[in-house]
Amino acid sequence: MKNITKYFLAISCILSGSLLFAQKQTPPEGGTPKDFLVPGKKTKALTNGLKTATVQYGDIPKVNISLIIKTGNVHEGPNETWLADLTGEMIKQGTKKDNFQALAQKVAAMGGDINVNVGPDQVVVSGAVLSEFAPDFIKVIADVIINPAFPANELQRLKDDLKRQLTYQKSVPQTQAQEKFAQAIYKGHPYGTLFPTEQMIDGYTLPMVKGFYDKNFGAKRSVIYVVGKFDEAAVNASIEKAFSKWKSGPDVFYPPVNPVTKLDTIIVDRKKAPQTTIILGLPSVVPQSKDYVPYLITNSVLGGSFGSRITSNIRENKGYTYSPRSVIQNRHNTSVWYEQADVTSDNTIAALHEIEKEINRLQHEAPSKEELQGFQNYEAGVFVLRNSSPAGIIGQLNFLDQNNLPDSYLADLVKNMHSVTPEQVSDIARKYLQYDKMTVVLVGDKESIGKQVTTKKGF
Amino acid sequence: MIGKRSFLTIPVFLFFSITTKATNSEPPGSLNVPVVYYKLGNGLKVVLSQDKTAPTIALGIYYNIGFRIEPKNRTGFAHLFEHMMFQGSQNLGKMEFVKLIQKNGGVFNGSTRFDFTNYFEIMPAHKLETALWGEADRMKGLSITQENLTNQQGVVKNEVRVNVLNQPYGGFPWLDMPQYANENWYNAHNFYGDLADLDSAKLEDVNSFFKTYYAPNNAVLVLTGDFEEKDARKWIEQYFNAIPSSTLPQKPDISEPRQEKEKKFTKEDKLANKPAIAVAYKMPDKNTPEYFAMGLIDQMLLQGNDSRLYQSLVQEKGFTGNVGGGINYLGDMFDYNGPMVWMANLIYDNKVKPDSIVAEFDKAINFLENNVTQKNVDLAVIKMRSSIYDAIGGNFGIGKLNMLASFALFDDNPSKINDLENEFKKVTPELIRKTISEFLRSGNRTILIIDPKATK
Repeated sequence: MKNITKYFLAISCILSGSLLFAQKQTPPEGGTPKDFLVPGKKTKALTNGLKTATVQYGDIPKVNISLIIKTGNVHEGPNETWLADLTGEMIKQGTKKDNFQALAQKVAAMGGDINVNVGPDQVVVSGAVLSEFAPDFIKVIADVIINPAFPANELQRLKDDLKRQLTYQKSVPQTQAQEKFAQAIYKGHPYGTLFPTEQMIDGYTLPMVKGFYDKNFGAKRSVIYVVGKFDEAAVNASIEKAFSKWKSGPDVFYPPVNPVTKLDTIIVDRKKAPQTTIILGLPSVVPQSKDYVPYLITNSVLGGSFGSRITSNIRENKGYTYSPRSVIQNRHNTSVWYEQADVTSDNTIAALHEIEKEINRLQHEAPSKEELQGFQNYEAGVFVLRNSSPAGIIGQLNFLDQNNLPDSYLADLVKNMHSVTPEQVSDIARKYLQYDKMTVVLVGDKESIGKQVTTKKGF
Repeated sequence: MIGKRSFLTIPVFLFFSITTKATNSEPPGSLNVPVVYYKLGNGLKVVLSQDKTAPTIALGIYYNIGFRIEPKNRTGFAHLFEHMMFQGSQNLGKMEFVKLIQKNGGVFNGSTRFDFTNYFEIMPAHKLETALWGEADRMKGLSITQENLTNQQGVVKNEVRVNVLNQPYGGFPWLDMPQYANENWYNAHNFYGDLADLDSAKLEDVNSFFKTYYAPNNAVLVLTGDFEEKDARKWIEQYFNAIPSSTLPQKPDISEPRQEKEKKFTKEDKLANKPAIAVAYKMPDKNTPEYFAMGLIDQMLLQGNDSRLYQSLVQEKGFTGNVGGGINYLGDMFDYNGPMVWMANLIYDNKVKPDSIVAEFDKAINFLENNVTQKNVDLAVIKMRSSIYDAIGGNFGIGKLNMLASFALFDDNPSKINDLENEFKKVTPELIRKTISEFLRSGNRTILIIDPKATK
């Protein structure tokens, strides 16, 4: 541990007139680490291809259940943005047996709600219910996904909801920046189109929704996770009974993706905005790469934690911003790194300079062993937390499955984090985080930003 | 647990407690949180709740000072001060506290709420002593420079910009509604702070605020997770016991008068494209039978897809895709201690008249008042039980810690965590009707409408 003992001079001038040396205390080290093992899972597969993973965890008498299907916005055509979202909303409206209200009441009596969330790569049907209702809730999930009613009379309302949501999201500066960044990196790929037009939504029909569902949903693309406190035998029997009649459906398929690395600056004018939303980044390391774990640690040092270099600089030193952070955003077979910060408009260019400076510094000068060790310990601690809640455990298991990683990835992660060397961190920064290859998106007052460019050099 | 409370008044330097533990007689599916409660000689309340599910601990210090009672000419100061607690203490310079927690594998945060300011860490279990030392160090005293204050004034102003000023619907309704609904300045001022007030804060304000409110006899220490009670008691005494207590100022009168007439306001939002509405009703006083009834009314009207307002506003009328709301937007119905509103809010389309939305509130409330059955109450209790379990199990021990801290600070009785379900089970349909007729009157409500003024 770093010896932070320092001396300061205290002058007691009134009574004794003598010099006193007050020694700063050193924090206690703490004891020896307890063992941590990733909670054990039990896995199975049904004949139709559905995989199951169950983990008994914790003392709270609840259970988290998620059915994760490998489809999402990634399977939308060029003029079908958010068709997956609309399909998800329509699935939620009820089954041939129970309409929305009947479903909602049934699940409320179990102490839960049923959610259908559509993401870029996955659709998740999930909920958390009181433990004793786990087998019943599994039946509900199965009914929802296998027998959706797709009620025609709800379609227009749900399209109106999506349009309202679209209007709202497009007025938020952070999503404006995300939209432009995704467009630049994933040009021509569904990952690159975050928002539809209103006209697109207007054009969606019930046959299109049903078509998307038929083409993309099925047991072979799906895994059901059950984590928490529950009766193992009853849960397994319920899964078997409720899901065995589901069609196998399509194989897992993700269209190829070629992210663009390009030095570029994109400005979205937001007149008189008090802040500029900055996103800058580039395609980077995928989880299957041997460089991924060193890259995780490098990100933590650079911008991925409160104590990181960039946050220390532009927040705690300069006061330009409140919530800067660097993010590793994984999609199927691709990944981007970006730094995001909302900075006072007047400090836009200065903030970019500081970020560039921190990236360059890490590239040219390896961190000290001690600094690095701090971040390795931090990431190891966060890893334990990620595996210490039912929802977190589902997240970890899903990460392995989505990226075709072996169980040893989680089992060895802490060890592998600790084996990263200072030189590796610099290497990773040089190899993958080159500032002059980054796409920069600025959402803010263009005039103010322009003035800063002309008065400051080097941009 | 009925009739078993682990609160004892204790003589100085002697620590007694009763530990409540789950027993075999509990019905299946129930939960009993172990609670050890005692006070140090300097008045610091201590709550210990062991849970060996994961090899981690969560430590929280809650100071009994929220933004409600911050100084009148210093709006936003309680929150600005929260930032100062990370800026340097006697033994740790700027960023050293942050690094101490992170390099030992922990995460941390702080937050400022209506009636408390909290600081917490989640650490690997073997770093408990390190975390206790760090919290004790900053309870002993701060060492803040003008440079650090200026820096955090900049950070906090950027926090207000990103969350309010540069955001469509920024501050709506969580920051706005208390200002419109309440009459008493303590409940009705801008808690985030006017930028000018934030700028005018001086180092001497920081020092005097610390001296006034950041004393052990105005705080509770809560520890949850994987620890041994003997070690925890030893270190807590070692690091905290010598911190002197202080004379606390008298708490100002924060009460609100009974609202007799409906209030209605419109606020322009230059960044929003669609109107939005928030409807708020003043809550019954905390811990009254009506307060618990409101918890269940919230479940019936607003929580979950089966709730009456979700069914009517989203499914039947299609006014909106989602209706949010509840009791205390900055926490939950347990972690505040003063006037509060029960509120709902939604974004809707320009073609919809706000009166037609308010009419749906009236319809849902009237229906419930006239038709509520024991079966409805039972269902609401199940939903409540499930949501309490979520709170207790949430955030790696911090959810449970937050409840224990609130019950210790406000009620001097953290074991209340195990009585909650019973309190809700006492609610009858008759009490629901009575609560609705007094608290869900139109005269007790405030309506705030966002008038969208974005140019595109």
